Amino acid sequence: MGDPPRRLQVKFEIPSDARYLPVVRGAIGPLAAAIGWDESECRAITLAVDEALANVIRHAYHSRADGLIELECREIADGLEITMLDNGDAPDKSKICARELGCDQPGGLGTHIIKKVMDRVSYEASPEGNRFVASKLLRKTS
Amino acid sequence: MKISIRDVGDAKVVEVEGDVDLGTSPVFRRTLFETLPLAAKLALNLEAIRYIDSSGIATLIEVLKDSQRLNKQFVLFGLSPAVQEVFRLTHVIRIFRVFATEQEALETA
Repeated sequence: MGDPPRRLQVKFEIPSDARYLPVVRGAIGPLAAAIGWDESECRAITLAVDEALANVIRHAYHSRADGLIELECREIADGLEITMLDNGDAPDKSKICARELGCDQPGGLGTHIIKKVMDRVSYEASPEGNRFVASKLLRKTS
Repeated sequence: MKISIRDVGDAKVVEVEGDVDLGTSPVFRRTLFETLPLAAKLALNLEAIRYIDSSGIATLIEVLKDSQRLNKQFVLFGLSPAVQEVFRLTHVIRIFRVFATEQEALETA
């Protein structure tokens, strides 16, 4: 029996500063393309990851630039898994996904985009910090 | 992100180029709110936007609401693929007046 196939895994340690967001966006699109998504899906996945990072910067670190976000992007057998860890304030679960899509209110769009694009999304607070995990399967489309 | 503003008749045409994200959207927001009261119509060209996130879309919604309060016209034109993707995901396009070209955006009352 052969070894399991090697798969792509990329890790970032990002200061909680919005000026680093383009760096991550620049990597996510090609990563998703390498796994097999088309241009439109790559844009959507990039957007979802960017929105998750922006949520951490805004809500966990309250726009302070001295926090740390660990981001891991891992190719899995049937798609992509994103894990994000931070040590800021824990997310308020009552405020997550409290918006109806298509309405004319400006708040809550980012979380809805993440849910719409990714197939599985979870948030949890642990002694290590806040952990966000999201995955997307290659065969499904947003 | 680069923003430029020009006068065309009674309208202000705002051109945005580059990325609108958490870092740049405060300038995007401030520019639109400062320009809106200065003309009867604000036409926003989104053709050269390479990336826009939910904070940019939230700004567009806020400007639209302010335009209604001030009795001004706020129209969008030239949606880039990045903008179309975010509109597709958020389903908010229906609340805006969207045109293919600047000419159409400016001619429509």
